[in-house]
Amino acid sequence: MITAAAKVAGPHIDWAGLSPLIAVLGGALIVLMLGLMRSRAVREQLVPALSIAGLVIAIACSVSQWGERENLLAGALRLDELTLALTIIFCVAGIAAIVLSWRHVAPREAAHGEYHALLLTSIAGMIVLVAAQNLVSVFLGLELLSIPLYVLCATEMRRPSSLESGLKYLVVGSVGSATVLYGLAFLYGATGDTDFADIARAIGEGGLASDPLLLTGIALTIVGFGFKASVAPFHQWTPDVYEGAPTPITAFMAVATKAAAFGVILRLFDVALIDLAVDWGPPLAALAAFTIVVGNVGALGQSSLKRLLAYSSVAQAGYMLAGVVVASRLGIQATVFYLAVYLVMNLAAFAVIVARERETPLGDDIASLHGLGANRPLLAWPMTIAMLALAGFPATAGFIGKFYLIDAAVDGSYAWLGVVIVIGSMISLAYYLKVVAAIWMVPAAAGGSEVAVASGGPAPEPVLAGGSDEAAALRGQGEVVGVAVLFAVLTVALGVVPSPLFRVVRDVGASFGLF
Amino acid sequence: MTSRVELFGWLTLAFPLAGMMLVGLLHRRLPGRTPGYLATGAMALSFASAIGALISLQALGHEERQVRAVGWDYAKTVGIDAQISLLIDPLSVFMILVVAGVSTLIHLYSVAYLDSDRGFARFFAYLNFFVFSMLLLVLAGNFLLLIIGWAFVGAASYMLISFWYRRTTATGAGIKAFVINVVGDVGLVLGTYFIFRHVGTLDFLKTFEGAKEAFDPGSTDLTAGCILLLVGAFAKSAQVPLHTWLPDAMEGPTPVSALIHAATMVTAGVYLIARMHPLFELAPTAADVGAVVGCLTLLIAGTIAIAVTDLKRVIAYSTMSQIGYMVMAVSAGAYAAGLFHLMTHAFFKALLFMAAGSVIAAMAGNQNLDEMGGFRRAMPFTYGCMVIGGLALAGIPPFSGFFSKDEILLLIGDRGGWYWILYVAGYVGAFLTGIYTFRMIFRAFWGEPVPEARELEAGHLHHAEVHTNPANGEVEDTDVGFPGPEHHIAEREPAMKIAMGTLALLAIVGGLLQIPKVTHVIDHFLEPTFAESALYERHPSDGLITFGLLLGTLVGLAGIAIAYVVWVKKPDLAGSVRERLSGVHRVLVNKWYFDELINLLVVRPAQWFGAFAQQTFERLFVNGVLVGGATGLVRVGSSAVRAAQSGFLRYYAAMLVVGMVALTSYFLLLA
Amino acid sequence: MTLHLSFALWIPLLFGVLCLFAPPRIAPKLALAGTLLVLGYAISYVVDFDSASGGLQSVTDESWISELGIHYKLGLDGLNLFLILLTAILWFACTLWATFWMRATEAGAPPAEERTHAIEKPRLFLFHLLFAETAVLGALMAQDLALFVVFFDLMLVPFFFLTGIWGQARRVQATMKLVIYTLVGSLLMLTAAVATGVLAADGDNELSFAFADLAERTLGASTQNWLFLGFAAAFLVKMPAFPFHGWVPDAYRSMPLPVLALFSAVLSKVAAYGFLRVCLPLFPDASEHFQTLMLLIALASILYASALAFTTTNARLILAYSSIAQLGFILLGIFALNGQGVQGALLQAFNHGLVVVPAFFIVGLLAARSDGSEDIRDMGGIATRAPVLATLFLIVTFATLAMPGSSNFVGEFLILLGVFEEKMAIALIASTGVVLAAVYALRLYIRTMHNRTGPRVEPQEMTRRDGLVLVPLVLAIIAISLYPQFALERSERTTTGIAAPAQQDAAALSEASGP
Repeated sequence: MITAAAKVAGPHIDWAGLSPLIAVLGGALIVLMLGLMRSRAVREQLVPALSIAGLVIAIACSVSQWGERENLLAGALRLDELTLALTIIFCVAGIAAIVLSWRHVAPREAAHGEYHALLLTSIAGMIVLVAAQNLVSVFLGLELLSIPLYVLCATEMRRPSSLESGLKYLVVGSVGSATVLYGLAFLYGATGDTDFADIARAIGEGGLASDPLLLTGIALTIVGFGFKASVAPFHQWTPDVYEGAPTPITAFMAVATKAAAFGVILRLFDVALIDLAVDWGPPLAALAAFTIVVGNVGALGQSSLKRLLAYSSVAQAGYMLAGVVVASRLGIQATVFYLAVYLVMNLAAFAVIVARERETPLGDDIASLHGLGANRPLLAWPMTIAMLALAGFPATAGFIGKFYLIDAAVDGSYAWLGVVIVIGSMISLAYYLKVVAAIWMVPAAAGGSEVAVASGGPAPEPVLAGGSDEAAALRGQGEVVGVAVLFAVLTVALGVVPSPLFRVVRDVGASFGLF
Repeated sequence: MTSRVELFGWLTLAFPLAGMMLVGLLHRRLPGRTPGYLATGAMALSFASAIGALISLQALGHEERQVRAVGWDYAKTVGIDAQISLLIDPLSVFMILVVAGVSTLIHLYSVAYLDSDRGFARFFAYLNFFVFSMLLLVLAGNFLLLIIGWAFVGAASYMLISFWYRRTTATGAGIKAFVINVVGDVGLVLGTYFIFRHVGTLDFLKTFEGAKEAFDPGSTDLTAGCILLLVGAFAKSAQVPLHTWLPDAMEGPTPVSALIHAATMVTAGVYLIARMHPLFELAPTAADVGAVVGCLTLLIAGTIAIAVTDLKRVIAYSTMSQIGYMVMAVSAGAYAAGLFHLMTHAFFKALLFMAAGSVIAAMAGNQNLDEMGGFRRAMPFTYGCMVIGGLALAGIPPFSGFFSKDEILLLIGDRGGWYWILYVAGYVGAFLTGIYTFRMIFRAFWGEPVPEARELEAGHLHHAEVHTNPANGEVEDTDVGFPGPEHHIAEREPAMKIAMGTLALLAIVGGLLQIPKVTHVIDHFLEPTFAESALYERHPSDGLITFGLLLGTLVGLAGIAIAYVVWVKKPDLAGSVRERLSGVHRVLVNKWYFDELINLLVVRPAQWFGAFAQQTFERLFVNGVLVGGATGLVRVGSSAVRAAQSGFLRYYAAMLVVGMVALTSYFLLLA
Repeated sequence: MTLHLSFALWIPLLFGVLCLFAPPRIAPKLALAGTLLVLGYAISYVVDFDSASGGLQSVTDESWISELGIHYKLGLDGLNLFLILLTAILWFACTLWATFWMRATEAGAPPAEERTHAIEKPRLFLFHLLFAETAVLGALMAQDLALFVVFFDLMLVPFFFLTGIWGQARRVQATMKLVIYTLVGSLLMLTAAVATGVLAADGDNELSFAFADLAERTLGASTQNWLFLGFAAAFLVKMPAFPFHGWVPDAYRSMPLPVLALFSAVLSKVAAYGFLRVCLPLFPDASEHFQTLMLLIALASILYASALAFTTTNARLILAYSSIAQLGFILLGIFALNGQGVQGALLQAFNHGLVVVPAFFIVGLLAARSDGSEDIRDMGGIATRAPVLATLFLIVTFATLAMPGSSNFVGEFLILLGVFEEKMAIALIASTGVVLAAVYALRLYIRTMHNRTGPRVEPQEMTRRDGLVLVPLVLAIIAISLYPQFALERSERTTTGIAAPAQQDAAALSEASGP
């Protein structure tokens, strides 16, 4: 026994490679502790500050690691550009979420320490998930990601809908996780391996191509991850949860969770199961098409902005799935590119929603945007840009993203999927433009936005650079407006000068050695 | 030498254009009648340059009497060779002489006649523009420029017909005339295509040269092309069935009717056929079509002219029928005769209209023959002019009309074959001419003087208290001041006297230019243009000539005699005849129902289609099926999705399971 | 020289942004300066354009998104030269026109005008207006398919706002309908464009969207066909052609007149231009294959729209439908697929643009004089009091109905000749459209200028200020009518070159079908 124990040698650990993960987890622990402190200042200022610091460090580490490609922890995790790129996305989303919730009720009610700790943990889970190249670590990451989110959704305890959304997410989410677990088990059963590379090898050698066990496993994993990425028909939790959850959390989920899910999908399907692309390609394509239609069609009648964006996120999931379907490096690059674009577009939109929730009694109802164009350019323009980008108008990142996805689809001889994407976009115009119209073309209803009412006559004050109410709002929630403007600017910038992002995704694509 | 011809050609065009611009731009500053005199002066200069062109052209050798004057490239691309180029040859010079000459006189007449009209300056701007267009038409050296002149003339006529545009009748007549003229333009354009397709050039001379090689005689393309050209000619020259605009065009001021709708524009069709004679001679079928239509027109118009009671419309229909003669002539190869008649007709028809204008002025704008009578003593000068014009029109020797009409029929008769039918019809037409012309004269000038006439004899020109539109009796809105509040008659206006006197003289002596076996001025002058023609300068037998001369005279006199009997001797006879032939009379009064026919066949269907498109198709198909269908589909989808979004976890779970099962079973089937 | 195009392209946008921040009094002057500057550039292009060379001139070629093979490539040739000039002229005119109404909002202007139309938030308006000019110029100058698509879709954004914010009546619904309807086409075009690039590259040679490269890489007939349809959808809707004109009535009714004028004068031309720039050169077989279909669509547009034009009583709609008919003629010329047709179509595009703007301007004046009503039943009889206006309108009317002597006639002459030589029957039927044009154009003129003065009409001569817009445009019409050769000789080389490929396979086909 002793000898055996002696034989046990801990795997070599590359601390540098793990640094982002460590930074995030460390941050989580620290803020958890600090949260116990008495002083309000510490809880309300220091905690968020430190969590942001943790995430910034994580980003810094990831950047410094760029170009590294190695297995960590005995091949449990994979450090490559995909991991790093997505890590950066998670962290940015996390920072945005923290900034948005700085003066939000949610953290106050749920105690700042816990709130931020949970957020960071969830991010850690995501990092693990997308880095995982082993069935076990996949599941580990998945749970680490999900459980904190269940709680976070419910953090506005005084608001029933928040609790409801938390509960729903918990229940349905567990079903999803169970499905994934089941699927992974089948994969293991079929191939006898947990390591992606070995699974790929096993499939390559043995004539597993038509092994029911394996195929069932694939089906179940698709369902499970499709659930996380809110792919129709497994999307239905999305609108309810998004609507109920505190808006900063919704923003975080919309962006980060999706990114994580697609990260793991890419790795699993384009590494482990790549040889079976002919099998899982068509059904995945069908799912993508279905998702695009359902998402866009569902968003049409919505008056709640968060529900609307929820459905839109479903649709976008469909678009990105197209990138997976083609099982090519181009596809991977397109997907990752779109994930990044999706991040900036959505954060801009959600920031504006947060701002209006605080300013108007209308909550996230579309009516809360009325008259925004006349009185609040600094919110109006970001929302407008975000919507146009989501709709895929040119000169925004959204256009390039779609262009790239269609490019990938056509290149992978899935031209029809490209057509479905644009048909989806056509439908989506109806609701994205409705939002824009609400901003610019509907005057502020009496008392609709007290700010607007305060401002009085429209004409004389400058169109940009804020009038009196603008200034007031900036004092009130400058950071939110800041987030909105920042990401709106990014959206346009990436739409006009996308090359840097292209270089990043090229590296990501290159990290998949197998094409 | 040719350069001088070109110069004069351009000048002839330049003066009216300059006149229009001057009058148009300065109309605010020019006092009283100056705009009128300015325009008239421009016309006189134009006429002078026309004479200059004539002289310098005659100075050239017989062969090089076809001068091309090129301005600049208009559309010279992808195989088209359209230039701003004039063709100055005897034919065009003949035309510009007639046009510019008669126009000058009519300008002069108008100076007095429209004196009190608020639109005085505008009128002369339009008038000059018209003459410019007409000269452009006859001087054009290629198809494109011809079409341009053609359309400008149409536009000018539109503007002048609806000159008194407060009258809905006038604007209606205007748009009618314009649209029918556009139909003609289109015919012309398509005809051009058919010809261009084979000869590959738009220039006249090149086309005529190329035509012989390009087309084998009687080629369908050429026939089609020529018939389409005829469509253009018919529309302009008011030949059936495209004539219905001409009577309505009498809505315009009388000088307009005299100039455009008698002397010049309506003869454009005749000019066109003459100009295109090399093509028509290669496509005899088309030529025959022209001849037959001309013949029909002269009969139909003649019969209508007997029935209508509007003074100007009587003359208008007689114009139609006279142009019928000309079209028949040039289509049948009697070019010189046709053009000769064109000239004499310009003289006496303009004269008739001027005289009519004078009478109408005396009637304070009333044009209805039924209410006229006995102006003989009241307005002797007008009466004289009217009689001279009438005799010329009826073809009584030695008046000009006699010789020209006679020569036409002579040459047609000489063609032999089935042309005999045309020959006979021609004389029937001449007979009708006699009747309606003198019906008009007797009814207006003979019989019991009407109050207006009495008033005039008493030395006072009748003046209506309430001005009404003679066409539909609605009260004019006098605030705009046109038609002018008071009227002007020849007896009191030297300007009008001069104009009418000159024309009367020409109407008498004009015929002497071309007397069978005696003088052949026009024949010889035009010869270079028709040098190639096979049908030119035939010499009919003396028997035919004498027979024709006699028959013509008798027929004319017979017509006058009948008119005398019916409308002077036994005034009640007219009524009883009308009773007896009420059916025929109704047809004639209703102008053979051409308007109704066109209405039924063209206008109504178009309007129906428009209404259908507007009210039904747009709503049901374009918005209903195309737009509504798509959006409806999407709506159904969205409601379905929202229905599925019940908010109950069990349904979500169920959906999840269903999806899972479906997916799994797919994969298992795959296995 | 190469810089020049970029200057002209971006100047409007630059000035537009300046307008946003400039003080209210300066903004209009800035906008005018910007458009005037562009006009200057445009004229200089026409002046030193070398009509002898068939190729591109003053080319700018930078790589924009190398990863997608998208170039920022601008260039001049016979196709776009005069359309650029047209754009510059009309934008200046309409900006001037719009500034009138802005002054009308501030101080002393004819009360009628004040009542009828006044522009709130002038600076935002000017921004969108100039933004639109950049977009249009971009679409015209682009020598790269993707770039063309970008600008083509971008054109719609400012018009969406211009209609939605400053429109009349049911402006929001109208603008939604407009944008969605037209973007449906554009998005199909997007897919088609991507597919064109990808399929043309087909693996071996690297992806490029530059027209020059695409023209060399010919595609298979079947591929060409569906790609052609994708583009055709976009262009036919934008023109619009029967039966894709469903958006026209609402949009035209609600657009502010200066915007409307530009929309129907320029944007429709860009669509027509698209056929010449994209479809004929890149898909010659398809163009040949669909020739008859397109000709029939054109024919239907001419007849149907004319029928609508002489039954409707709304002055705007009369012009709207007449534009549809005119564009029918242009389409007819394009798909004659021979030199004459294309030359005619191009000339006609220029003419129609030049004619329709003064027409709309006059409609504006008439509406102001008939108590704001744009129904011709409420108008009439102002010619006596407004002789100058009447004369100018008469000239415009004659040009509209393509009277011989106007440059429009030369255009139609060439178009019909081109079609006549290809498909005689269609040319014969189409020629009836000319007659119908006479009917509705003259009807409009008579009902507004002649007959008795309407009850609510207050006849007034147009002011000198109106003359500033109207007179130069009319003079331009007269000038081009006197010397159309000026335009024709500059476009000849290119147009014949474009018609050539399609003609070649027309010949090939006829040989194949022959013995």
